[in-house]
Amino acid sequence: MTTRLIINGEERSLTCDPRTPLVDVLRNELRLTGTKNVCREGYCGACSVHVDDKPMSSCLLPVGTLEGRNIVTIEGISQGDKLDAIQQAFIDLDVVQCGMCFPGMVMTLRAFLRDTQSPSRDAVKFALVGNVCRCTGYERIIDAVMSVVGANEVTE
Amino acid sequence: MATTQNPKFHSPADLNQALSLLQDLGEPAFPVAGATWIMRAPARGQKIDGTFVDLSAIPGLSDVDLAEDKVSIGAMATQDVIAGALAGHADLAALMMATGYTANPAIRRAATIGGNICTVDFAASDIVPALLALDADVEIVSPGGISLMSMTDFLAARPTLSRASLVTKVVIPRRGQTSTHSRVTLRKAGDYPVANLSAAITVDADRVIRSVAVAVGAVEPVAKRWTGFEKALIGRKLEAGEFREIAGNYTGEFEGRDDTGAPGWYRIRLLPALADRAFRFLQKRTA
Amino acid sequence: MMPDQSFADKAVMDFPRRDARDKVTGRTRFTVDIGGSEVLHAALLRSKQASARIIKLDVEPARKMPGVRAIATGSDVPGRYGIGIADYTLLARDVVRYHGEPIAAIAADTLEQARAALEAIVLELEPLPASLTMADSLAEDATLVHPDWQDYEVLLEGAARGGNIAWEATIERGDADAAFARDDVIIVEGFYEVGRQSHVPFEPRAAVASFEDGRYHIHASTQVPWTVRTVASRVLGVPESHVRVTVPAVGGGFGLKFDASIEPCAAVLARMAGRPVSIANSRREEQMTCLSRENAEIRIRSAVMSNGEIVGREATVLMDCGAYGGEQIFLSTMTTHTLGGNYRLGSVRLSSRAVYTNTPPNGAFRACNGVYNTFALERHTDEIADAIGMDRMEYRHRHVLGDQDISATGQVYDGDVLRPMLDRIETLRAKSGSRKERAGNRLYGEATTVGTWFIFVGPSAATVNLNHDGSATLVTTGVELGQGTMMQALPQIVAANLGISPEDVIVKSADTDAAGRDLGVGGGRTTVSIGAASEAACTVVRDKLLDVASEMLQTPPKDLVLAKRRIEIKGRPGSGTTIRQVLAEAESRSGPVSGSGSFTTPPFECMPGCTAGHFIDAIEPVFAVHNCELAIDPDTGKVDILAYRVVQDVGRALNPRAIHGQIQGGVVQGFGYALHEEITINESGAFDQTGFENYLLPLATDSIPVEFDLYEGAPAVGPFGTKGAGEIPILNVAAAIGCAVANATGKQVSSMPLTPPRIAALIDGLDPPLTHEHISPVWRKNTIDRK
Repeated sequence: MTTRLIINGEERSLTCDPRTPLVDVLRNELRLTGTKNVCREGYCGACSVHVDDKPMSSCLLPVGTLEGRNIVTIEGISQGDKLDAIQQAFIDLDVVQCGMCFPGMVMTLRAFLRDTQSPSRDAVKFALVGNVCRCTGYERIIDAVMSVVGANEVTE
Repeated sequence: MATTQNPKFHSPADLNQALSLLQDLGEPAFPVAGATWIMRAPARGQKIDGTFVDLSAIPGLSDVDLAEDKVSIGAMATQDVIAGALAGHADLAALMMATGYTANPAIRRAATIGGNICTVDFAASDIVPALLALDADVEIVSPGGISLMSMTDFLAARPTLSRASLVTKVVIPRRGQTSTHSRVTLRKAGDYPVANLSAAITVDADRVIRSVAVAVGAVEPVAKRWTGFEKALIGRKLEAGEFREIAGNYTGEFEGRDDTGAPGWYRIRLLPALADRAFRFLQKRTA
Repeated sequence: MMPDQSFADKAVMDFPRRDARDKVTGRTRFTVDIGGSEVLHAALLRSKQASARIIKLDVEPARKMPGVRAIATGSDVPGRYGIGIADYTLLARDVVRYHGEPIAAIAADTLEQARAALEAIVLELEPLPASLTMADSLAEDATLVHPDWQDYEVLLEGAARGGNIAWEATIERGDADAAFARDDVIIVEGFYEVGRQSHVPFEPRAAVASFEDGRYHIHASTQVPWTVRTVASRVLGVPESHVRVTVPAVGGGFGLKFDASIEPCAAVLARMAGRPVSIANSRREEQMTCLSRENAEIRIRSAVMSNGEIVGREATVLMDCGAYGGEQIFLSTMTTHTLGGNYRLGSVRLSSRAVYTNTPPNGAFRACNGVYNTFALERHTDEIADAIGMDRMEYRHRHVLGDQDISATGQVYDGDVLRPMLDRIETLRAKSGSRKERAGNRLYGEATTVGTWFIFVGPSAATVNLNHDGSATLVTTGVELGQGTMMQALPQIVAANLGISPEDVIVKSADTDAAGRDLGVGGGRTTVSIGAASEAACTVVRDKLLDVASEMLQTPPKDLVLAKRRIEIKGRPGSGTTIRQVLAEAESRSGPVSGSGSFTTPPFECMPGCTAGHFIDAIEPVFAVHNCELAIDPDTGKVDILAYRVVQDVGRALNPRAIHGQIQGGVVQGFGYALHEEITINESGAFDQTGFENYLLPLATDSIPVEFDLYEGAPAVGPFGTKGAGEIPILNVAAAIGCAVANATGKQVSSMPLTPPRIAALIDGLDPPLTHEHISPVWRKNTIDRK
């Protein structure tokens, strides 16, 4: 059986078992290793991708259910040298430690910041309940998000 | 649409096709909704196996229809969509909270109401007690026809329903009630609840409680109505309070289950406080 | 080594990390990202019994399965290894000693094929009696986890061991019997117990191995490339020089990867298959067999005068090793330095016993047993303060260790550090004010706790190659786990020493073929130890350059300074010439310029004869003071942290922003240890917790911003007077939270973690006071008679 999906703007035909979780197809078949495989239970958010613009956990998505869908991974977020605002904020504010959770953080936050007007710090935290980090203790991540929120408010 | 068939995976185009597949393929085949339960099989020490009958291509199964007298929610509607559709409707708050403030944002985009209520082993569902408190009915389609049964009856029938049957929608009557859902998790958020409680009431002009439904989940393997507590509240003024104390008299209706992280006695201990929280909220919200 | 203050200011900066961009764009290639069809994929057959004899192990049926390329069993990797005692085997032979112990390894074209082939292996286990708790292991008729313990190779002499005691460390200074017999003392006693904690680095233990040119090459997610090298050579039965270990960016460690584990499995399979083999623990395997922070049981007893002076202190600590000794054997030493730390002691005797049980082996996790020893000590200290009617903060002001006080082992402390740090926490608290009003109707509690931990130095080596373009390559076996040292502190140190910019410093990733031996990354040692070795290497390079420059500039070397990529005459900025020009001249005379340096533990003196079975008798301390305000909802037992404050002894803060990151991260890990993360072991000897659903890590909603103050200036051996900052932030958290919960509830807090059900039980008075029947009230009966 062939499943056709669009990944980072490119149409791909997959011939693997359609029950295969998307995270495994991305990492093993397509060698897009930016999406990380950590908990495989939908709790940690490290496997987060956008499916039709919505952040979802790719460890829980059988590829067969994604026929025709638009998938964007972390590799598809930045355009060459130009990074998403939240990526740049993570770099500028020296937030990153081991790095494994950050692709998932970026996928969740990019959509959240796109869809949410002037969130409070608490609202950001509730939005990140599905993105676990073991290294940073979160607050510097939230600081970076608030700096982007602040910048967005200035430009509006 | 898939060009060739894989024997382990099917995406039927309509309900009849889905039912035929389930009937013909027998034992290894099962319906797949949001897939969040089956895809976590390895976490339960099992394998992702069997034949998937993927329901996501069937049209009309995820519609949410909000009318004056009832709400009809397709089985494939996801939690985020349901919560969004019900927002602002005080009578439906229990289900809005049970779908919109549980799990985590990514899971809410995948998990369906049908998958949630059909998972027999899922003791900690928030949606099940909400539907019990809202007197929901469940529509089931099988080769023999369509039937509508109460949520209570559905929960009893659930373990032995025919293999070739599918829940297609949930229907909630709207009777001017106010409802709410409260829950306790071990962390601040992101967990399955240790205990939860949904409540729905109507009051008369003097704010005397005329009807009340209280359902408790996560404490026992299957959620159920808290009948003793309900009876004690009928005829009381909403402002009379003492919910914690009254609820405390009826915790004996439950036998708390032990599970990793939370023993049964702790779940029972939470019930009076949960009742208190829920009814104080209803005091404020009920016009 | 005296800190060179002339470079110090140049080394201090919030230098950003160069690996951040690749990490936020998903480009970083961790060990787990090597895969696909470039490598074979390995899976492990693990025991489902806690204690059993292997009656039958037939792998031949698996060999015929699709895609299978190699299979290894215990007979292929016979060597034993360990810390202190060589009791570990890579793959079980004859017996299995814990649920999850690896028995066989298979490499196949895909992971699914390897896992499918595992099921074809015929394994018959005959259950044997299992000892699942330390109480079981210490009983008269206990099942021996290692019946052949006497035959094991002893790697470090001098310890007592026997039966189920893998290792025992004791210390006796002064006459504790006399102290306890005095009639002017109050005796205070306490029992404590703590559960395990899993590290959960997001990248599990993983390796890719190949066999090239007659040598093994192991590319691994590890903190200790040299330990992996040594252990691999032992189990594979080859000289150490036949093993090369390289390490890319590591997705978190926290101590889990401070030991070798599954890496040599990939190596043996790679040699058998003639192809590279990758191996990684699944989340379930990792969670259920991780080398956790050990569970422990403590009895502590003190003889205290009415003014609080401690004339005698005795304690017994039981540390659960699990089925193999591992890091706990080394850590038995650290009881003396932590439980025997913080306060002035007239006399002291401590017994620390690493106990075998048929459970998954434990290991080192950020501040190790310091975390629970500090919890027990600070609870005990609050109880002493209450017993003599003294305010708890005042007690600490009066009795913490200060300048010229002696430690449990007689080491003399240099400088007054803890007392000024107590003042600083009060200042910090006053700045933000009490959060009590936020508690509302909930139970409010507060506590301030003191902690002592140590900088683990030990051998490090570094080479600096000065490149003709003026950049410098730093070659060490330091590993970047996320703590930032390799990306920030080290380039900052090298740059300051050579007068170049940190951007000009290339840090070579760890390779045991390129750099000298290093103890490993962890214990806050990287900045100190590798930093010091790097400084020594820079000194050699600098001397070479200054030699040539002094001729070129006709100025004595002592009057020259390296700054801004130039060598200039002191006091005359803009004079002199560029480093590149000096370098070109130097190269033309004697070839490329480089220098090497090394560093190891400087000797600290202590009292001879008081310790037995200790790996380290005296060591550089590092201190922390934490304050916590919290509220408890009595309906649910849930704790809400209202404020958390840290004063940390950092020596010199080379990168304050990076240190903040470590403090925030470490404190939140501490919240997890104290409030959410629980491991329970069932009657099969397996963990009940199997993954993220039931092992509860702190989430974003469970954290709060930590207020912090970096205390500088304490005596320190590291470059520019720095101490490691990465390990200690977690040290006092369980103590602070435990003491604050006791303050809030008015109840005896004796255990960790304080999950909501446990706090509910505490409030309701459901449990009797904690005692340990298997710890004798006679201290000496808790030691092995050495006579």
